[in-house]
Amino acid sequence: MVNEVTINMSGISVKYRLAKEKPETLQEYFINRVKGKRMEYKDFWALKDINLQLRKGETLGIIGHNGAGKSTLLKVIAGVLKSVKGDITVHGSIAPLIELSAGFDMELTGKENIYLNASILGFSRKEIDRKFNAIVEFAELSEFVYSPLKSYSSGMVSRLGFSIATEVNPDILIIDEILAVGDEAFKRKSEERILGFKKTETTILFVSHDMKDVRKLCDNVLWLDHGMSRMYGDSELVTNEYQKP
Amino acid sequence: MYNSSFKKMIESLKEISEVIKYKELLRNLISRDIKVRYKRSVLGFLWVMLNPLLMMLILSMVFSGLFNVSTKNYAVYLLSGIILWNFFAQGTSASILSFIGNNELIKKVYLPKAIFPLSVILSAMIHFFFSLIPLFIILFITGTPISSQIFMLPVVIIMVVLFSFGISLIVSSLTVFFHDTKYIYEVLLLAWMYATPIFYPESIVPQKYAFILHLNPFYYFMDTFRVALYMDGPYLSERLLYGFLFAFVALIAGWFFYNRYKDRVVYYL
Repeated sequence: MVNEVTINMSGISVKYRLAKEKPETLQEYFINRVKGKRMEYKDFWALKDINLQLRKGETLGIIGHNGAGKSTLLKVIAGVLKSVKGDITVHGSIAPLIELSAGFDMELTGKENIYLNASILGFSRKEIDRKFNAIVEFAELSEFVYSPLKSYSSGMVSRLGFSIATEVNPDILIIDEILAVGDEAFKRKSEERILGFKKTETTILFVSHDMKDVRKLCDNVLWLDHGMSRMYGDSELVTNEYQKP
Repeated sequence: MYNSSFKKMIESLKEISEVIKYKELLRNLISRDIKVRYKRSVLGFLWVMLNPLLMMLILSMVFSGLFNVSTKNYAVYLLSGIILWNFFAQGTSASILSFIGNNELIKKVYLPKAIFPLSVILSAMIHFFFSLIPLFIILFITGTPISSQIFMLPVVIIMVVLFSFGISLIVSSLTVFFHDTKYIYEVLLLAWMYATPIFYPESIVPQKYAFILHLNPFYYFMDTFRVALYMDGPYLSERLLYGFLFAFVALIAGWFFYNRYKDRVVYYL
């Protein structure tokens, strides 16, 4: 029985437009218009014609050198960037484990931040109410949940972020280099949770420079090179190719 | 050609449903703004009420010699003008940096970005509600009777919210691409404020300059606000209709402007 497709990408291309002389102020913009000056652009293609199909329960690793387009690809999937060409359809909720503390406000309490962060991921009040206790327990922060976040250590903040993003049980989990956070004990717990996701129907996307982690976690791997798909296949095969000098 | 603009229309409508879907986030952003703002100040939310009151007292002392004769209930006239203007001016000014200020989030997670300026405008509306308290106190102290059209008050507030939201969508999007928007807008607001009958009555404006007032959306908002509160005048007036017209035009223009550029915003943050 083949699983349902969760992510379908065809011909996805992302372009960054670098204007040679970009007017940064309204003043400049109007002066240029009056003068009849045309703007010159240089296009940089961060992704070129990417085709990908992912199913439920599949774990895909994405590897490549810096600037290859890995984060850009994740952003297109997450809906942060729009591709200039091609089509993408995504079925299901997405939780990015991308710098977990982006949504936190240091002045608010742990509880208020849980609601804030989970609502950023698109969850309703009822859903958060249901998950609240589990989130606090996994993060091991039950004594501190009513204290402001600025009193937390950085480890505590990371644990909370990780707990929220994973407890909400997303259909698609996006991990950008951060596999495990916190001290040794928590690191093990978070790795376990991610491995636990593999057993469910969650689609996981994992960007990493650590080939060991990639091989451990991923079924297939996509090797991105200068925005193009250089190789796609079994994680052992592709990572070995990648590591050849 | 037709296909792509049709697609864009559909997307604009989808964006509305997206904002509604994220209403929990909206609620959290507003409560965060209110909590953070008042947690730090000693006088807390009393300051929201005191500030316009103090401004009114100072201004009325300055201008009472000039205008008191011609304006009935000058204190109420002045205070109502101040708090309604503050709502719009402070709300839209604060919304200018709402995309830039939340750039970390926008670059990492998908969100219907309009939610940021919307939360700023709605927070400003809540502060406006608090500032109505001293206004009613002054009404009571000066023995000014409350208008029979007081039921129009929510209508006026909605008009100003829609107008402010439309404007905020434009300025917050523009600022991402052009950093001087903030400064230009602030100067514009200053001129706009003087073109609005806040501390002077309409009657002192010479006939040849009256057109400036008639082109100013706030001329209509102010008038309907004061009529709803205490002034004599019919509620189903021409001015109310003009007010709504301006409010809807601003909202629709703002919404389309925002939708046109929202996908490009992330590249400039």
